[in-house]
Amino acid sequence: MSATVPAQGERTASGTASGALARNVTFPRVVASEWVKLWTLRSTWWTLGSTVVLMVGFALLFTVAINAAPPDPEAQEGMRQGMAAGGVTGPTIVSLGYGMAQLVVAVLGALVITGEFSTGMIRSTYAAVPGRLSALWAKLVVLVGVTAVVSALGVTLAYLAVRPLLDDIGFPVDLGDPDHLRSLGGAVLYLVTVAAFSLAVGALLRHTAGSIGLLVAVFFVLPIIFQIIVGASGADWAVDVNAYLPSVAGEQVMAVQTMEGLLEPWTGYSVLAGYTVALLVAAAVTTTRRDA
Amino acid sequence: MIEAVNLSKRYGPKTAVDGVSFTVEPGRVTGFLGPNGAGKSTTMRMIVGLDRPTTGTVSVNGKPYAQHRSPLSEVGALLDAKAVHTGRTAYSHLHAMALTHGIPKRRVDEVIDLTGLQTVARKRVGGFSLGMGQRLGIAAALLGDPRTLILDEPVNGLDPEGVLWVRNLAKYLASEGRTVFLSSHLMSEVALTADHVIVIGRGRILADAPVQDVVDGSSRRIVRVRSPQASDLAELLTKDGATVDAVEPGLLAVTGPDAASVGELAAAARIVLHELTPVASTLEEAYMALTADSVEYHSEAVGPDGATTDAAVAGHDPAETPAETPATSTHTEGDHR
Repeated sequence: MSATVPAQGERTASGTASGALARNVTFPRVVASEWVKLWTLRSTWWTLGSTVVLMVGFALLFTVAINAAPPDPEAQEGMRQGMAAGGVTGPTIVSLGYGMAQLVVAVLGALVITGEFSTGMIRSTYAAVPGRLSALWAKLVVLVGVTAVVSALGVTLAYLAVRPLLDDIGFPVDLGDPDHLRSLGGAVLYLVTVAAFSLAVGALLRHTAGSIGLLVAVFFVLPIIFQIIVGASGADWAVDVNAYLPSVAGEQVMAVQTMEGLLEPWTGYSVLAGYTVALLVAAAVTTTRRDA
Repeated sequence: MIEAVNLSKRYGPKTAVDGVSFTVEPGRVTGFLGPNGAGKSTTMRMIVGLDRPTTGTVSVNGKPYAQHRSPLSEVGALLDAKAVHTGRTAYSHLHAMALTHGIPKRRVDEVIDLTGLQTVARKRVGGFSLGMGQRLGIAAALLGDPRTLILDEPVNGLDPEGVLWVRNLAKYLASEGRTVFLSSHLMSEVALTADHVIVIGRGRILADAPVQDVVDGSSRRIVRVRSPQASDLAELLTKDGATVDAVEPGLLAVTGPDAASVGELAAAARIVLHELTPVASTLEEAYMALTADSVEYHSEAVGPDGATTDAAVAGHDPAETPAETPATSTHTEGDHR
């Protein structure tokens, strides 16, 4: 049914030679769409690139700085023991950059959905996928997949960059040690979970600045405040609240030795995962109910 | 085919759409006309499931929009030219939309050609003019080759060539048997494009009829009378129950009796007439009459000729509106928003 619009000869009409073009909306097609949407925004490249740079940079900075300390064996040993008592191990040095990388990953996770609300894109998305939930889950799948690959790349490159120096400063990484492997893999798992957490927050708040503000508070400001409170007062309630903060609990999956007052690695991670699932459920409920 | 039954939308205490029922038939262009804030956009958003109706139901091609398995091939909607991520290029936006329905890339190229976006397709949407954004929105609406098109204010921001193109496109799509539902607050636009018109004001349907019927059914039938004895005639007509406006010395605009009655009355009183012209009411006048009580935002405007008119209610002095040429001033109507 190809024809032309009268009085506008050079433009072809809406009809097409092939007839029906559009097929049914399926979850894999929605995932393909979200994949293209993610990679066609500059913010994705910036945030993912920063994640890798932060992971490698912090690990390298730390090891180089320690290595540059005065070559006094006694002083070095004292410093090493001090750091070890504070929970520093080879794997935690490798994944040191997670503290900053999590903020970047949180921004990406939130932007994936708040960017659509702030620009109005969400109306196009929901018009194409009126079920809405498959759009939300497709965003989650793409975000989790991409964050996992990029975090794993960051941890691997950080490890390769600092490996020669780690033995020198007395914090070796033993890939045969299950706790060391769990710690390195835990950094990837933690960042992926932070991304999912942030997507849920973005879907609930629908606002970029609000979501990022809240996420920075949860993952950066609250732990600092509670560290101060716990350090100053040592009150039981503060220790308990601190242990169950999303970031503090989740970070334990990277700990090689469990510190006083904190949760076991997998218990801690389960707490963060629990918050994330709860937020995602809440996001799913509001996504289907609210007007776009 | 769009069928709305008792559709309402309330936002808190404010009722945007108040129990409207209507049917938009395929094969013709149906205009959706109403002042700003009348409920046009809300109604259109409910049709495509973006807003949940407070009461009532609306279906497209027999089913609620969300139940279609391939919604973009049922309905193409231009609801808001800014429903696009500003950081993405036009091509990427259309490609991502197409992927949800497995629509091939060549169709993306087709709609880009169709809407004249070739030169800017690879540029980010954030830098687009309103007109370019509007074309992109129309391209997105056409992507799935839909049976029903919903276009909310499609000519907003378009240049005259673009306006003409949208008009022809809407008519052409309807001639192919598609349902075309096009909103506007410009009565002249609807008069030129639509076959049928649904007039909405304050969330209620004020008229749902062929454009010609709305014009004919207008209560504002005016007869222009020129007479050297205008004041005598005016007195006579007023006594007879007509409303008479003295447009200028010797020229009257008479509302009420038809031309024959005015002529007979003048003849009976031996009053000389130099002109006796029935002024066909335009859609604009019909619209103004229909929506006079239902505009959301009144504005006092001073016309270029110095005559103060309540822009939202009265428009031009009826006698000054050219007869038999319904509202040719397509673009200048924007002044009255």
